[in-house]
Amino acid sequence: MADRPLFVALRQAGPIPLDVEFTCHSGEVLAIFGPSGSGKTTILRSVAGLYRPSHATIRSGADIWTDTDTGTFVPPYRRAVGLVFQEYALFPHLTAVRNVMTSLAHRPRVERREKGEALLNLVHLGGHLSRKPNELSGGERQRIALARALAREPAVLLLDEPFAAVDRSVRRRLQNEIDSLRRTLDMPLILVTHDFEDVVRLATHVLMLEHGRAVACGPISTLMSRPDLSWLREAVGLGSVFDATLTRMHPDRGLVELTFDGGTLLAPARQVAANAAVRVRIPAREIVLATSAPTGLSLHNVLPGVVTAVHADTAFEAVVVQLTVGGVVLLAEVTRDAVGRLGIDVGQRLHALIKSVSIELLASDANTAEGNR
Amino acid sequence: MDWAALRISLWLGAGTIAILLPLGVWFGRLLAVRDFRGKLLAEALVTVPLVLPPTVLGFYLLVTFGARSPIGQAFQALVGHPLPFSFQGLLLASAIANIPFVVQPIQRGFEAIPSDVRDAAACCGLTPWQQFLRIELPLAWPGVLTASILTFAHTLGEFGVVLMVGGNLPGQTRTLSVAIYDRMQAFDDRSAGVMAATLLAISVATLMTTTALSRRVSPSRG
Amino acid sequence: MSSGRLAALGATLDFHHGLLRLPDAAAQRRPTIAAAANLNFALTEIARQFERERGTRVDVVFGASGTLTRQIRDGAPFEMFLAADEEFPGQLTAAGLTRDAGAVYAIGRLVLFAPTDSRLVVDERLDGLSRLLQAGGVTRFAIANPDVAPYGRAAEATLRKRGLWDAIRSRLVLGDTIAQAAQFATTGNAVGGLIAYSLVKEPALADKGKYALIPQTDHPPLRQRMVLLKQATPIAEQFYAYMQGSAARTVLSTNGYEVPQ
Repeated sequence: MADRPLFVALRQAGPIPLDVEFTCHSGEVLAIFGPSGSGKTTILRSVAGLYRPSHATIRSGADIWTDTDTGTFVPPYRRAVGLVFQEYALFPHLTAVRNVMTSLAHRPRVERREKGEALLNLVHLGGHLSRKPNELSGGERQRIALARALAREPAVLLLDEPFAAVDRSVRRRLQNEIDSLRRTLDMPLILVTHDFEDVVRLATHVLMLEHGRAVACGPISTLMSRPDLSWLREAVGLGSVFDATLTRMHPDRGLVELTFDGGTLLAPARQVAANAAVRVRIPAREIVLATSAPTGLSLHNVLPGVVTAVHADTAFEAVVVQLTVGGVVLLAEVTRDAVGRLGIDVGQRLHALIKSVSIELLASDANTAEGNR
Repeated sequence: MDWAALRISLWLGAGTIAILLPLGVWFGRLLAVRDFRGKLLAEALVTVPLVLPPTVLGFYLLVTFGARSPIGQAFQALVGHPLPFSFQGLLLASAIANIPFVVQPIQRGFEAIPSDVRDAAACCGLTPWQQFLRIELPLAWPGVLTASILTFAHTLGEFGVVLMVGGNLPGQTRTLSVAIYDRMQAFDDRSAGVMAATLLAISVATLMTTTALSRRVSPSRG
Repeated sequence: MSSGRLAALGATLDFHHGLLRLPDAAAQRRPTIAAAANLNFALTEIARQFERERGTRVDVVFGASGTLTRQIRDGAPFEMFLAADEEFPGQLTAAGLTRDAGAVYAIGRLVLFAPTDSRLVVDERLDGLSRLLQAGGVTRFAIANPDVAPYGRAAEATLRKRGLWDAIRSRLVLGDTIAQAAQFATTGNAVGGLIAYSLVKEPALADKGKYALIPQTDHPPLRQRMVLLKQATPIAEQFYAYMQGSAARTVLSTNGYEVPQ
């Protein structure tokens, strides 16, 4: 699968301030995260060609879509973008299948109906071809919007707050659907959201935005292990996020074994297939630090590591200790007192104690039973 | 019953719609979609014929296009007869008088389309022209329909401008509304009554048709 | 209604009344004559006779002399103009729009008219009107607008002569043609009015009330002049001549006009 990276560089002082630069490769999911009004949707619209900042360079692979230096601008209808709008923006006068077929103008006429139906089947709406949008639920409309965006055979898929308008139960299902979908897609996927759960579930990379400026950008595990992002701490609470593989099941003990780049973890058994790729999240508050490996404790996970950073912020009572365990960085919140008592400092060898029940398993494989339908 | 007058009234209504609809769609959409300097002024100007007394409109039309004006003389040189007191003159006057009835409903029709939907059409790969034909126009259709019907009904009832610019010439500019007035002046109340009833019947029928049609069109919108 | 039925209806209308034909372009097939509103009955009759005798028709448009004059100056395609006075046609001649100075074809008379149920007692000296005015019983009194209608000018002259103008002024309702003034006067919207003799001579109006002929010395004579306009065609010329013939003069006399010798 060829990589067709999306390169975006936007800069303007107003009316909407912007200052971002990022690249998203095929197969990656970049979550643009920030509070309302931070400019997330503007970035998305700029990539689609619906908004024109004063200084912008946008490239999809070798195609230059926008370049204010040379005055190049490819209008939206000539860019291979798939955009799923926050409120879906379906055409109210067309049926579901005709909505999808609108994006198929680049295909020969005889193929369009068939392709439209196939896409709707893909998003599990095969039985609703002739329904109009006002006859369908929010979740169903979102899937039509997704199918319509994919019909374009886009070079980049853009999702604007895809789960904002649906309720919790539907949201989980949609998240899993999108996650399984993106693994089969050979394109960069950019997801705009103000809900960190979306980020944690789906993103491989994160761009944190504040007033149009990127305050942090990078792979999710790296970002999540930064102790100094105080606003993130306030918004969602700190925690480490990294990927692991389910290598063994212990059904008699009710546990599963997860292997990651740095060791193994034991977590309570879930409905996950063997060798499934999972994403693991461990809240910083749940990690206990010890100078030596204890025995006789109920918890299952004791991981040795090295302290790589200690971050004290006067705004918070707890101190954040960054502990590198193999290839993964963990964050632990401890009191100042503890730091003093243990003499916690950079370079020190400590053990991270993690209760198996504290491990959040974000199953990201299509094989999860809770993911489908 | 003055059949010639009825004919002239119907053709005046149809002709006015034919002239104004394309212009109305273009300008109404422009006002709905774009923001530009002077937009406020443009919208106000569109409304002017609504608030002007018909006689004022007629007066300015005569001054601007009459036999004593440069435009009028050019027209006469071209076509061989002056613009006022001709059916073409009536058409022009009627078109100007009906601008607000055409532009405003169409503008509302296009305004009702969420900007997201327009953006989505572009992101689906539709060229601006295709966007207009396949997405915008079907959704703005009730506005276009309302504009047509309002214009037709209004044209049938026009009197002041028609009389001033047209001159009540039988077979040419004597519309049904003017013919009613004419018959009354001749103390022929019976004819006047028949024509008035006809005009009323046509107006009611037209308005009923619109209501029925727009009910059929609306339910598809979610 | 099914489309088949609609088509049939359309065809019928077209066949009978040419509804689907486009309105005539300005190139006229019949001459259009402009005439003062006081000629409503008389001229319609004359035109009918003309058609019977000569086999050709003219279209007549009635209005106030002043309004018609303005329209002719603005390019209205009339071929002949029968005014209610001499001044308005004179303006057109001075502007070079007529063939010549034309001819006086009739002399009109003014009457005081009161509808049957009115309190106004009619007499040629307007004494009845004066009494009613003093008694406060004149709600509305109709005349034609003196600015555009010569009969209105004559009415004003008469009222001034009798010393009633200032008192009655605020009670006046002005018709924009003498025919409209007659309507106001005859439909009970006014206690009465000063209108054209030719209009009350018609049976349609004659039994709607009472009238008294105003002496010609009470106002400038209503000498009515007609002119052929520069664009007159042969048929209009024929009609012009016909107006001065005995048939037309008879009709005019019957309708309350004096015809010049």
